[in-house]
Amino acid sequence: MKRSFHYTKLSAWFFTAVALLALLGGLGLLILDSIPAFKHEGLGFVTGTRWFFRQEEFGAAPMIYGSGVVALIAILLAAPIGIAAAVFGVEFLPSKWRLALKVTIELLAGIPSVVYGLLGILLLRNWIYDLLSPFDPLSGDTLLTAGILLGIMILPTVMTLADDALRSVPGKQRMAARGLGLNASETALYVSLPQALPGLLAAVLLGIGRALGETIAVFLVVGRQDNQWPSSVLSLKPWLESGQTLTSKLGGSESNIAYGQPLHWAAITGLGLTLLATVVAITFIGLWLHQLSLKRHEA
Amino acid sequence: MKRRAIHLGFRALTALSALAACAVLLGIIGFIVSRGWSALSWSFFTEEIAHVGASGGIYYNIMGTLILLLTATLCCTPLAVGLAIVHSVYLAEHPLRKKLTMVLYLLNGVPSILFGIIGMVLFVQWFGWGKSWLSGGILLGIMMLPTVTITLIERISSIPGRYLEAGRGLGLNQSQLIRSVVMPQSFGGLITGLLLGLARAAGETAPIMFTATIFAGATLPSGIKESPVLSLPYHIFILAQDSYDPVTKTRLWGAALVLVLIVFALSLAALPARLKIHEEADHA
Repeated sequence: MKRSFHYTKLSAWFFTAVALLALLGGLGLLILDSIPAFKHEGLGFVTGTRWFFRQEEFGAAPMIYGSGVVALIAILLAAPIGIAAAVFGVEFLPSKWRLALKVTIELLAGIPSVVYGLLGILLLRNWIYDLLSPFDPLSGDTLLTAGILLGIMILPTVMTLADDALRSVPGKQRMAARGLGLNASETALYVSLPQALPGLLAAVLLGIGRALGETIAVFLVVGRQDNQWPSSVLSLKPWLESGQTLTSKLGGSESNIAYGQPLHWAAITGLGLTLLATVVAITFIGLWLHQLSLKRHEA
Repeated sequence: MKRRAIHLGFRALTALSALAACAVLLGIIGFIVSRGWSALSWSFFTEEIAHVGASGGIYYNIMGTLILLLTATLCCTPLAVGLAIVHSVYLAEHPLRKKLTMVLYLLNGVPSILFGIIGMVLFVQWFGWGKSWLSGGILLGIMMLPTVTITLIERISSIPGRYLEAGRGLGLNQSQLIRSVVMPQSFGGLITGLLLGLARAAGETAPIMFTATIFAGATLPSGIKESPVLSLPYHIFILAQDSYDPVTKTRLWGAALVLVLIVFALSLAALPARLKIHEEADHA
């Protein structure tokens, strides 16, 4: 009996250790490999606007800008629609229909990113090209195209989390509001939505995190034009032009040719580390808010 | 009157949003089916790719994707079971438990391309495997890990306390309790988690494109080193970038349809068990 005790406990801990060590190893590898790039460029790695690997210039700012813009467009599109749809599901729909809505949205979440990319490349970019024709665009591959596609892709994430947040508001509060004579919309606007605010913020942040990390669909429609640094960060014109994001750079052929030249490879893994740090930070805050919103009505 | 107008307007606005979300899904599915349906035939599933996708079928792409998914399942299962049991049993009262939960959720948010980059250093270069089905399977297995583990943990925590008490009453020690109550009672959770994880893994391109899969010229792997496989996502990814020939395009949509069907089949298979959990949670 003593033997079997060790056997079960040991194997559970062994596999846990394997999993955690693999994750730590991967993280360590990413950090170690990227050190030469940060040594070479210093802070210029994230602020530099020029990326010419043959001249050993590695400035990631245009890619950080590209990632930021596509994620911003995506969340501007997904947040209002996703939250409004969740409000409809929670506040107005009978629970049977709410389930049907949830299932539909989960299926939407399951469509692979490469299929979204295909839809983007064969449909969306042509629509965008036609739409932008007054501005004489060079192509339909723009930051806007990638942002819209991402907006559709993160809609399920935002909606599911907004649904969680709204459902964590106790039914008693709704009943109290209705008892005071508020109608269903007023209850949603003045009770449920304010009460669910941390959770809704979590939905937005986790949606942004997802958008920043998405690779394949963005890769196919963003144009992958290096060194697109806007004259003004507030200018909207670059949105209608091709660009490059952190992920589209990492997914490109440069990752393949960089290995073997330590500095170039360090710059590529440096992009990966920058992406990871940003996404993990945003996801962390989002998860914290999500937990907060689920817990605050429990007590 | 004004209040009523605002009420109706607000309700209409939210309804429209929900409708838009559903319409997008139906639109996407309808479009893929209408474009890809005519490509589906017996030979499309049984022949190998020819003429850069313009003729032949996707037999080895489907087989490659299945090999990757099977490998991922085999890699993921022991790790997920170990993690879930450590989380639910051995760390039950420990402060590290929350940290472990956080690690799992954060891992779930890690961009998939990073798995590809790390896999490229580790497997392709350091291990000298070149492109190999095994690296792809391991990477997808680790990507699935949070989904599978979290689903399993949820199921373990929903095991009724009286089952555990009955087990203890029979004189079972902790290990025996794990093996004869916790694991069998949560087996369904493992299956559900695996189905959900596989649904996501099946469509992933980024982790496998540098490490495991090529566009043409591979059949079934016979070893580990330099043994790439074909796969559905990478097939679509490559053809999407340079296919202007209408025949190829139809076949491309056909491949996309097959991939979407595989993913939907996996998610729908996991659905009943998940709805049941939600219902129970609603009643609690």
